[in-house]
Amino acid sequence: MPRNLRLANITKVFGSLVAVNGVSLEIDEGELVCFLGPSGCGKTTILRMITGFETPTSGEIVYDEKVINDIVPQKRDFGIVFQSYALFPNMTVSENISFGLKMRRMPRDRINRRVDEILDLIGLRDWRNNYPAQLSGGQQQRVALGRALAPNPTVLLLDEPLSALDAKIRVRLRGVIKRLQQELGITMVYVTHDQEEALSIADRVVVMEEGVFMQVGTPIEIYKNPQSGFVADFVGISNFLDGIRGNGTVQVKDIQFVVPQAKSLTTDRVTLSIRPEKIEIVNSQRPLHDLEPSNIVSGKIEVFTFLGAVVRMLVGSANGEIIVDMVEKEFEQRQLNRGDEVDMYFPPDAFLVYQKD
Amino acid sequence: MNRSQNETYGVSSVSLAVDRYILTAVTILIVFLLVFFMLFPIYKILVMSFFKGGILGLENFTLSNYIKYFGTPRIAKSLYNSLYVSIITMAITTTLAFFLAYALTRTTIRGKGFFYTVAFMPLIAPSIIQALALILLFGRNGLITAHLFKTGWSIYGAWGIIISEVLYCLPHALVILYTTLSAVDSRLDEAAESLGANVLQVFWKVTIPGAKYGLLSAAALTFNLTITDFGNPVVIGGDFNVLATEIYAQVTNLYRFDLGATVSVILLIPSVAVFMFNYYVTRKSFALISGAARPFIRPSKPLRKWGFTAYCIFISASIILVFTTVVMGSFVKVWPYDWSLTLKHYRFPSLGGYSAIWTSLWISILVGFFGAFFTLIAGYIVEKKKPFGVQLLYLLSVMPAAIPGLVLGLGYILAFNRPYYIFYGTPWIIVICVVIANFTLGTLSSISNIKNIDPSIEEAATSLGSTSISTFVRLVFPLAKVAFFQNFVYFFMRSMTTISAVIFLVSATVHLAAIEIIWLDNDGWMASADAMSTCVIGIVLLMLGLLRIVVGKKMGHGMVRATT
Repeated sequence: MPRNLRLANITKVFGSLVAVNGVSLEIDEGELVCFLGPSGCGKTTILRMITGFETPTSGEIVYDEKVINDIVPQKRDFGIVFQSYALFPNMTVSENISFGLKMRRMPRDRINRRVDEILDLIGLRDWRNNYPAQLSGGQQQRVALGRALAPNPTVLLLDEPLSALDAKIRVRLRGVIKRLQQELGITMVYVTHDQEEALSIADRVVVMEEGVFMQVGTPIEIYKNPQSGFVADFVGISNFLDGIRGNGTVQVKDIQFVVPQAKSLTTDRVTLSIRPEKIEIVNSQRPLHDLEPSNIVSGKIEVFTFLGAVVRMLVGSANGEIIVDMVEKEFEQRQLNRGDEVDMYFPPDAFLVYQKD
Repeated sequence: MNRSQNETYGVSSVSLAVDRYILTAVTILIVFLLVFFMLFPIYKILVMSFFKGGILGLENFTLSNYIKYFGTPRIAKSLYNSLYVSIITMAITTTLAFFLAYALTRTTIRGKGFFYTVAFMPLIAPSIIQALALILLFGRNGLITAHLFKTGWSIYGAWGIIISEVLYCLPHALVILYTTLSAVDSRLDEAAESLGANVLQVFWKVTIPGAKYGLLSAAALTFNLTITDFGNPVVIGGDFNVLATEIYAQVTNLYRFDLGATVSVILLIPSVAVFMFNYYVTRKSFALISGAARPFIRPSKPLRKWGFTAYCIFISASIILVFTTVVMGSFVKVWPYDWSLTLKHYRFPSLGGYSAIWTSLWISILVGFFGAFFTLIAGYIVEKKKPFGVQLLYLLSVMPAAIPGLVLGLGYILAFNRPYYIFYGTPWIIVICVVIANFTLGTLSSISNIKNIDPSIEEAATSLGSTSISTFVRLVFPLAKVAFFQNFVYFFMRSMTTISAVIFLVSATVHLAAIEIIWLDNDGWMASADAMSTCVIGIVLLMLGLLRIVVGKKMGHGMVRATT
């Protein structure tokens, strides 16, 4: 019988602020679920309710088929990793790791063995007698991870664990966390505002805004098929165009885009979104006959920036500024430059259509 | 790794059950102690002043004490005198301290560390040595007045009190203003300059408004310290009676507890009002302090540098003069006629003598320990735990600052002079009274120190199975250890040097060094009063040095932190 964690219609109210508004979710044992959203969206509040530092105003938190709303944090056996590491500055690495074991009155020799296991797991055996202040940020967060894992928690909760670290260490530690999760088969609930982090690490992503779940799905579903303008905007980068729906078309200012999927909507006022990498800069050499002619918009390159493998262009057009990404190699071959007049092609099936909100 | 070990080894259910109630229990205990040892005595004073014979009852209600107070011109004058002295002291001290703080934070003069340390010296001595020094220098037989200029003028009276109080209050005001000016971003001044403002415009339009809450707060504190001080006015006031000396005169000389209580109520009104004002101001001021304050200061121009250096030297010299005068006064045969050195003034002619010093020492160690301990717990509960009723606990914890020590002491007599309060008449009542009288600053400094502990650290401990008590013992106390010792030093110093809080509580069997100074001076043994002051200063310095060795931190700095 897998030990699942279930949020059943959870609401949390602080004074007049509704931080979390009637959300439900079933998290499977061994699953890594990411709560993703801007600051103040309620994701940390959900985490704190799972840990037991906050009590839901209404609804139930169920673990292993038992309601745990009123169980104190000490008795929940969940491990927690904090953004600020929250290592005990007056204790060495070993003492930090053994803290939870001492609290569980484990015998001394068992504690020592377990601390050694954990030190190997996080690769900090040589640092056991150092104090947190003597470690780098990345090492500190590994200790925090080890400390949380030492008492063998059934669920590990991570509250923006990597936000305080440099970009490079962040990516590396992300890998460490994912590997640990898979090796130990532990359930993880991971809170972040970094969409890239969420997409790369999670089995399932929960996108939140203003206390509600906007979308729950695998990273690929969330990126490829965002179900609202908010998700499309928050996850990755998108261009948004407001228009009026026609018959398989959307009229945006002077241009009537062919958008077959617009038929499925019922309202007339709609928003189109399209990822920058989906827009093509039409090559004069390329035959135009396989393109939808009405989806071509002319513009002028105003700014471009190198982002490593791709070049991001800001193209001014009658429909406003459009962000277009192009592979760096192609950009160089075609000798594009600031001020160039270009034609942008918007492939019909690359559009996502939403009701205008 | 099998999961079953969680079943074998678990967090103790008993300690978790205890944990549920421990916070409430400790909160109630502290609230009870504060109510019983602070509010109850004040209540007794109110009853004594409004009811005949101090017996509560409708038929006993009377305003006759107040009529008597305001009807006797000599007594009524004490209110006017107190306000007069306090307001002038407030204006002078705040101004002097502001420019001192400015010099120490916003200029690149040399010797800042020295000036800073000297400015805090008055904290290590009883608030009487300023007056003793002024009398030695400017009294009827003063070195400067009578012998240098051969004038008959002497410093006794209002101006004697004012100058003593300015020197006494300076470090208190400086702490606040130094913190304020350090916290307010000095780049604002530079931004204003770059926009074309001249030096005076920057000063009046940017620097002063930026420090306005600090200025108000320093002014309020100075006012309260002055109006509630007893040591300086009793020595140098002469015929100029203030509220504090009037309370003492009514109770000790005339045995009029009812009138003493009445004057106490009249003294409580301005001090509570100013305290409330200050409380309101400090709450607002937190918003003004930016984290972006920058330690770098541009080199000051020579004129500015020399001007501020001269100013700092003047202030430091005045303070050093006070100390050297008193210390010298204790070692010379007959000030200012016979300068040969002697130890005869250290053969104390009073009842207490050296035993008073030892009593003071061990009482102060107890006060330091209990004060630091209880304020750390109170600060921890207020800042981190926020239980039901936390507002009440906070209010009670900061309230002692509004209550003059003398009034609290009188309240203790009225409230606890009963056979069943077995601590009455023992040194323990002094320990309790001094701890309570200084509870405010101890709690505030604990709160600000505990604020620095990342809340996640405690949550991490909790999630790992730690109870409140074990978190406090294993984490909070170790992390707040330096703060604990700072508070220990603060309470120790206050206990060694305080006069007003304990003057009513010493008895035929319990003598205290700081009070001996008053008796010695009163009985005309001025040089021995100087000697006793020197002993107190010496002991405080020894304790500071000792703790510096033990804790390995700069306790000089700690002492300053403790008083913020």
